[in-house]
Amino acid sequence: MVFDRRLIKEIDYILLITVAILIVVGLIIIYSATRTNKALNNGDPFYFLKKQIQWILLGIIAFVFLINIDYRALQKFYYHIYILNILLLLAVLISGKVGGGAQRWLYFGSMGIQPSEFAKLAIVITLAQFLSDESNTIGLRKVIKAFLHIALPTVLIARQPDLGTAIVFIVIFFGMLYIAGTPKRILGGMLLIGLLASPFVYFSFLKPYQRKRLLIFLNPSADSLVSGYNIIQSKIAIGSGKVLGKGLFAGTQTQLSFLPARHTDFIFSVVGEEFGFIGSVCILFLYFILLWRALLIIASAKDDYGRLIATGVVSVFAFHIFVNIGMTLGIMPVTGLPLPFLTYGGSAMLANLIGIGLLVNVGMRRKKLVFK
Amino acid sequence: MSYMIRKRPNIRIRKRTFTLFLFFAILLFALVAKLFCIQLLNGRRYREMALTQRMQLIPVYAERGTIYDRNLTELAVSIRTDGVYVSPPNITKPDETARSLANILHLPYESVYSMVKKESPFVWVSLKVTPDDAKMIREMKYPGVKVTETVQRFYPKRELAAHILGVAGMDNQGLEGLEYFYEKELAGQAGYVREEQAPKVGHIPQGIREIQAAEDGNDIVLTIDEGIQYIAERELGKAIKDTGASKGTIIVMNPGTGELLAIANYPTFDPNGFAKYSSAARRNIAITDMYEPGSTFKLIIAAAALEEGLVSPNEIFFDPGYIKIDGKQINCEKKEGHGWITFAEAIVESCNVALSEVGLRFSKERFYDYIRAFNFGKKTGIDFPGEASGLLIPEKTLKPIEMANIAFGQGISVTPLQILLAVSCIANDGVYMQPYLVKEIRSKNGQVLEKFEPTPLNQVISKETSDILKEMMERVVTEGTGKNAAILGYRVAGKTGTSQKPEGGTYGSKRIASFVGFAPVDEPKLAIIVVLDEPKTISKYGGVLAAPVFKTVLEDSLRYLGIPPYFKDDKSSLSKEEIVAVPDVIGRSPVEAKEAVASFKLRSKVQGQGSLVVDQHPRAGNLVSANSYVVIYLKEQDITEMVVVPNVLGLTMKRAAQVLAEFGLKLNPSGSGMAVEINPKVGIKVEYGSIVDVLFR
Repeated sequence: MVFDRRLIKEIDYILLITVAILIVVGLIIIYSATRTNKALNNGDPFYFLKKQIQWILLGIIAFVFLINIDYRALQKFYYHIYILNILLLLAVLISGKVGGGAQRWLYFGSMGIQPSEFAKLAIVITLAQFLSDESNTIGLRKVIKAFLHIALPTVLIARQPDLGTAIVFIVIFFGMLYIAGTPKRILGGMLLIGLLASPFVYFSFLKPYQRKRLLIFLNPSADSLVSGYNIIQSKIAIGSGKVLGKGLFAGTQTQLSFLPARHTDFIFSVVGEEFGFIGSVCILFLYFILLWRALLIIASAKDDYGRLIATGVVSVFAFHIFVNIGMTLGIMPVTGLPLPFLTYGGSAMLANLIGIGLLVNVGMRRKKLVFK
Repeated sequence: MSYMIRKRPNIRIRKRTFTLFLFFAILLFALVAKLFCIQLLNGRRYREMALTQRMQLIPVYAERGTIYDRNLTELAVSIRTDGVYVSPPNITKPDETARSLANILHLPYESVYSMVKKESPFVWVSLKVTPDDAKMIREMKYPGVKVTETVQRFYPKRELAAHILGVAGMDNQGLEGLEYFYEKELAGQAGYVREEQAPKVGHIPQGIREIQAAEDGNDIVLTIDEGIQYIAERELGKAIKDTGASKGTIIVMNPGTGELLAIANYPTFDPNGFAKYSSAARRNIAITDMYEPGSTFKLIIAAAALEEGLVSPNEIFFDPGYIKIDGKQINCEKKEGHGWITFAEAIVESCNVALSEVGLRFSKERFYDYIRAFNFGKKTGIDFPGEASGLLIPEKTLKPIEMANIAFGQGISVTPLQILLAVSCIANDGVYMQPYLVKEIRSKNGQVLEKFEPTPLNQVISKETSDILKEMMERVVTEGTGKNAAILGYRVAGKTGTSQKPEGGTYGSKRIASFVGFAPVDEPKLAIIVVLDEPKTISKYGGVLAAPVFKTVLEDSLRYLGIPPYFKDDKSSLSKEEIVAVPDVIGRSPVEAKEAVASFKLRSKVQGQGSLVVDQHPRAGNLVSANSYVVIYLKEQDITEMVVVPNVLGLTMKRAAQVLAEFGLKLNPSGSGMAVEINPKVGIKVEYGSIVDVLFR
């Protein structure tokens, strides 16, 4: 594969460096959060670090591979991607039925992946094509069609049950419709319908534990032992970090295992405890740069397809960042959405790097046809 | 309706992208604001919360003071054991943890599960576990489960003096009895260890650690004498078994000092596992329960009347068997009446009629003045919780018939302790002593912190009056209703009591048999009361049931204390007599029984009518002096008991007669050989004493 040097120059290095810093910080925090817990790390303090690095390497390979092909080549695989996504989600549902209880994993030998992480990208790529396809007008009819487009995967993911990811699909849908230029009246009307339908969804679709999470979000102290406990522990960890934090490896709530899910859902709480207000704001600033650079790519994209792909990816990142950090601060409900590049988790890391690959791909090809 | 994107694409896209940028910026700013709020504004509060979460408070129990008897025998001690507690926030596997703990400690899973799920940093699972169990639990290393040293109450003598000691609960707090009354002295001050803990690691070696040492409680020394307590409990147990009484109590005290030497109650309990017993079994009946005293109360009225000069010992009364007061009839226990008797004899023979007459000679005020002076109707002030004060009919509404009733112990409620104290007052030359259970309070190292001395409360009657009463009471034992209380070589004074139990406003067939007295008469060392509630025997008289118990407790206690027998031939003829064992005559015919009793140099007294002896008193094997009475109870006609016809088919005539007799049936044989036919048939219920026709062939 021959790579055009002029294209390399067009790569957004600020974006890449920002992501690289986030990944390195993530590795340090994962290490800090898991090194002392022998029950989790099987006696190897580097256990989680090693596994995460494997997935990062895999993600870099995928990234390099992806930016080498023009994103427009993906258009050829529209149906393949859409159908493969549905099949994977069905496979999860069926194996979940067999295994019993909530199931989000598919196993290929010893390697487990979470199809829901990749489903987000599949939705982004296929919906971008659907919205940029044929007619250039976005009217009510098209919006309804687009809604039907995401309806099946959304229902499948909600049945896992993975309410958080189902909501991510809705957010992608709104974000892309917005940038695609859908009239505000239609967007507003959809929001209104969504609000009116929410009590119905609450009482007929949500499982008891999901309802409980929402209620706990509204009143955390009502159930301090289960989910509410997590939020309170998270706030104690973050709050006790004060301005400068307790220092790396010195966060008592983290190191003494008071903080739950500290290398996954609540990894930001570790940042808050060990690096304090200064460290937390730095992380938020890195995410700000990430989103800012991504928005520049949206604004400068060469065609609607690329712009909408970038928009979808940004929607995914932004929603994850705000919901996850909001959750650790107690201003968002517990949904189990990971924090991009920081949370431990192979599928998410791989999917996020592919997402960055898509962004960079769109960004580096923004200039109109300079190929010979 | 449709929009054309291509028309002015850049402007719309830029506008909307910028809107998104603003949206993101606002959200990020909101997160920063929230972080500012949590980390900067409330940082100190969260840091404190983090610290409290890590600091765990482990109570260190103070060693509860020891309770000794008067000779410093340990009755209640504190022992160090292992206890198990959980700290629910640190428990990672509640199901598994609860199941393992429940298995090892033999506790119900549900209750352990609720402990490990409790919203509390610290919950005791068990304060007392065996060393083996403690080791197993330590080795399981479940996060949030800890074994620590605790102090537990242990009562080495088990049931002994249980009602006096009371109980201290799982958390070492006195709940009942002296454990409760002297809580302040015994408890001491608990300490604690505060140390930094991690959920999965436990105690952090370099962590913060604060220790507040526990201050041990003081010891108390009782007036109770373990030896006498043992005698009283043993004899009460026997008496309950012999009489079938539902409840009973025996109190022994030193009449000269007010010191309680023993308090036995039935039903009883083992304070080491007190929770297994009903609260009824834990009642110190002697102090907390009231009853109508019956004839023992005649002593109080006699004392008052003699003191007031309302009667003299030799005044003659005539008892026709009843007396009518305000149209109501009071009967004497002896239906035909005692005839012409002196007042002294009225006490000796326990005559209701004479006492009723004496009772009526009082003014209401003087009558109650004396009753109150003997501390009836109010608490005696003994150092024990929950003392009953007794009940008096209000003085304003008191009617003559009621005064007559009270004169022989009906229509007034008292505690056994009140009666014993009043009688002790008579024994103590008329001086009423403050009763008490605790002699000394000592520090852990044996230093006496407080000493309780005998305290005279008031002179109720003169020494002269008390001397007259003592003589009367001695005659009760030597020649009256209390002969069964006589002891060879000691001068014993006493009074019998047989109270009718009020049942629904009237008096039924239930009785309380009691006996109260003291010895030696000239220098009283011991005063004892025996109360047996609802005996099931045919005779329910205090002189028959309670007096022998009194006698044994008194005799054994006198020997135990080393008080020498006092022989005085002109006062007591007992010394010349020999001691014999009572024969077993139950199940024999009246003639046979009388012969058997006579052959043991005893006299018999027959109660009831019938052909079979169904009960006797004293019971077989009791040692009594020769020439004393054995009461023989015959089956009375109005008592119909049903028995089942036994199978005697195939038996010889002699054997069949024996078998039928065992069932209380009579044989009417016909023919000879083996039994082949029975009428009524085998298994049919017939009246006790019925005749069964048996055909032999």
